[in-house]
Amino acid sequence: MTPWILQALNGISMGALLFLLAAGFTLTFGLGRVVNLAHGAFYLLGGYLGLTVLRGTGSFWLALVAAGAGIVAVSWACDRFLIRRTRENVLGQVLLTVGIAYVLADVCLAFWGGSPLRVPPPEFARGPIDLPGGIVYPRYRFLLILFGALVAGVLWLLYSRTQLGALVRAGVDDREMVDALGINVDRLFALVFGLAAFLAGLSGVAGGAFLTLYPGADWDILAYALVVVIVGGLGSLGGAMIGSLIVGLVDAYGRWLLPEFSYFMVFGPMALLLLVRPTGLFGREA
Amino acid sequence: MSASVALEVADLRKAFGGILAVDGVSMRIPAGQRRAIIGPNGAGKTTLFACLTGALRPTAGRIALFGRDVTRVAEHRRAAMGVGRTYQITNVFPGLTVLENVLLAVHGTSPRKWVMHRPLDRYSAARDQALAALARIGLDGRSGVPVRLLSYGERRQLELALALVGEPRVLLLDEPAAGLAPAERVRVGETIAAIDRRVTVVLIEHDMTIALGLADHVTVLHRGRVILEGPPALVRDDTQVREVYLGHV
Amino acid sequence: MVSLATLAIAIPALAAPWLLGTFWISLVTQMLILGLLALSVDLLTGHTGILPMGHAGFFAVAAYTTAILEVRHVQGFWVSAGGGVLVAVLLAVVFGLSVRTSGVYFILLTLALGHIVWGVAMRWTTFTGGENGVSNVPPPAVAAVRFADLSVYYYLVLVVVAACGLGYRRLVRSPFGLALRGIRESESRMRGLGYNVFAHKYAAFVISGGLAGVAGVLYAYWNRFVSPAAATFHASAEAVLMGILGGTGTILGPFIGAAIILGIRNWVSGYVVWWTSVMGLVFIATVLWAPHGLLGLVRELRRPAAPGSPPP
Repeated sequence: MTPWILQALNGISMGALLFLLAAGFTLTFGLGRVVNLAHGAFYLLGGYLGLTVLRGTGSFWLALVAAGAGIVAVSWACDRFLIRRTRENVLGQVLLTVGIAYVLADVCLAFWGGSPLRVPPPEFARGPIDLPGGIVYPRYRFLLILFGALVAGVLWLLYSRTQLGALVRAGVDDREMVDALGINVDRLFALVFGLAAFLAGLSGVAGGAFLTLYPGADWDILAYALVVVIVGGLGSLGGAMIGSLIVGLVDAYGRWLLPEFSYFMVFGPMALLLLVRPTGLFGREA
Repeated sequence: MSASVALEVADLRKAFGGILAVDGVSMRIPAGQRRAIIGPNGAGKTTLFACLTGALRPTAGRIALFGRDVTRVAEHRRAAMGVGRTYQITNVFPGLTVLENVLLAVHGTSPRKWVMHRPLDRYSAARDQALAALARIGLDGRSGVPVRLLSYGERRQLELALALVGEPRVLLLDEPAAGLAPAERVRVGETIAAIDRRVTVVLIEHDMTIALGLADHVTVLHRGRVILEGPPALVRDDTQVREVYLGHV
Repeated sequence: MVSLATLAIAIPALAAPWLLGTFWISLVTQMLILGLLALSVDLLTGHTGILPMGHAGFFAVAAYTTAILEVRHVQGFWVSAGGGVLVAVLLAVVFGLSVRTSGVYFILLTLALGHIVWGVAMRWTTFTGGENGVSNVPPPAVAAVRFADLSVYYYLVLVVVAACGLGYRRLVRSPFGLALRGIRESESRMRGLGYNVFAHKYAAFVISGGLAGVAGVLYAYWNRFVSPAAATFHASAEAVLMGILGGTGTILGPFIGAAIILGIRNWVSGYVVWWTSVMGLVFIATVLWAPHGLLGLVRELRRPAAPGSPPP
């Protein structure tokens, strides 16, 4: 019984991390029709930035915030000078953001080198935690689950209970209509894009604590985040939540039961799902 | 009945979420008739068309084409069965030349569209057919021009030509005069009037002159329902129709 | 019959091994192989208007199949090469169902599917050798001719690529090719005109996958070693970029693009460590300033209005 629960916890904690990344990606697309394949690079760069701040100040919280803020700045610059010029041109946007990702990854390599680096978790999050049922689990990953749930809860409240959230939902539904109502959709989008960037940078630090940061981690994590977004449906926050849980759990059990086919376990069902429902579980027409 | 029924619609319904765009529409259009469907904006005309061509699946109801049930038949199959359509917002192939646009229409209803090993030029009969169609609308001199360089009026003509080339039995025209200058409207009216009488023409139009001038029979839609049906003279003088148009801001 | 342009390409191509040293011949061979991969992608991006981001999967699957058949089962050229292409086609038959999706979903789905191939190549170590891959692929022996020498193998590649190029040319000039371009311009209108858009896209995808497989087979014999590196997202992305850089919708464009990318990689990486950034900058610059590629720029400058010419 115990190994099954342990793997479930692995899956849920991975899902929590994936949610942080996927939520921003899916809302950015839903509202602005922007596909940002540099999102994984944002994660990696954020993680490295946070690590440097952590080494300099000793504060994990400061590292989280600095990583988030740093990526907000980077993403703002990318949007302002580059991404904005490819609106409506999906092909161009995909290639452009891939190019940005390549440059950012190289910058990371230049400043932080090629060896995997681990972000040391804060004191209170180190070591094991005793859970009911005699289960012993890494404290950090357990706290990550709580953190992910917290962020999910806050986002969900903002999304479904506030006027701002209503505007975002309306914009995802029908951008032209919101525009016609006199609301500055561009500014709304900038807000969502900024939030997505903040979460990406922050998740780099969070992920760096147990997955480590290394060249290639940007694409590794992005691939998983994309599965979440595809399964959950582009533009759906709820879909991102459910999708990250599913992907996290399938990945954990897959790696444990069939390590040689774990990739296939995660991506295969996704492909099958799309055959039946081309827009994912809760998505809308692209 | 002696003349066959080209298009029969029985209690058609189409819902988008909670909104019933088409709410129980029934129509019977005999072969060769010119039917105009009019009604204020949002009456459900274009949605009805989309259901007739197969672009949308109706929520309920039945559609029959020359007696055959086509409610669940895919759009491209209905086109092969003789349904042609034009679009309210011009829907042509802007990155291709004028000739290529019409060639696509010519090849569309033949198995030639699956040929992968012979060049297009080999099919001279198709090419002649395309050029003839272009000549009818006066665009044969511009056959090599990319469509995105054509004027709006020329594109609208091409829009119609694409639908006619396939020699449809039922032609659905969605606001063919939309956005045209008065002189061009007259020309469009004349083109439609000149269509072979064996073709059943159903048209949506806001321009009353064209709609009532061309039609044998008129269906008035309002909020997804048929509120009146009859010859143009009857519809023109009906008070309810006036109210619906004038009262609808 | 034979145009000046064709001669201008054919003569240097045939004479190349006498004009260039081993290093350059190897590079030109690689350019032909990757150009063929880029061409297969361009059938979808340039003509059909969809963006597959996982085509290295077909390339790699064919390369692995050929390598494994040669190395472990000593099957000889025809079986190994044929097997490679066949497996790529079979994979395309399965993955081709992805054309049911459109727009961004298609892009992301093909990206993920390509990633599956990479993941299987990495993790299924008992079969693919994992990171170590399959090595010591022998040179192909075609009817008692051993293409052991790189210069000689170059001719085999040249013949195969030229044949594929001519076949491709036929395909894009046929009614089917025109139908693909119609789909690119307006899927809805195509349906209204009687085209089964899904079936056409699916057929194009399978053909494209098969062509990518041919490139993969040639790659296995050229590189003599196949590893998961052949199936990475980077390989897929570069294949897309090569077509765009050289000029989408053309036949020479993908090869020109391949030459440029390989040139950058080989030249720049000799000088700087940060050549990945250079590649990234090339991506960015192409999108912003040369969206129709080099041939597109050339076409802009010449400005003819040739009827029936491939569209920008």
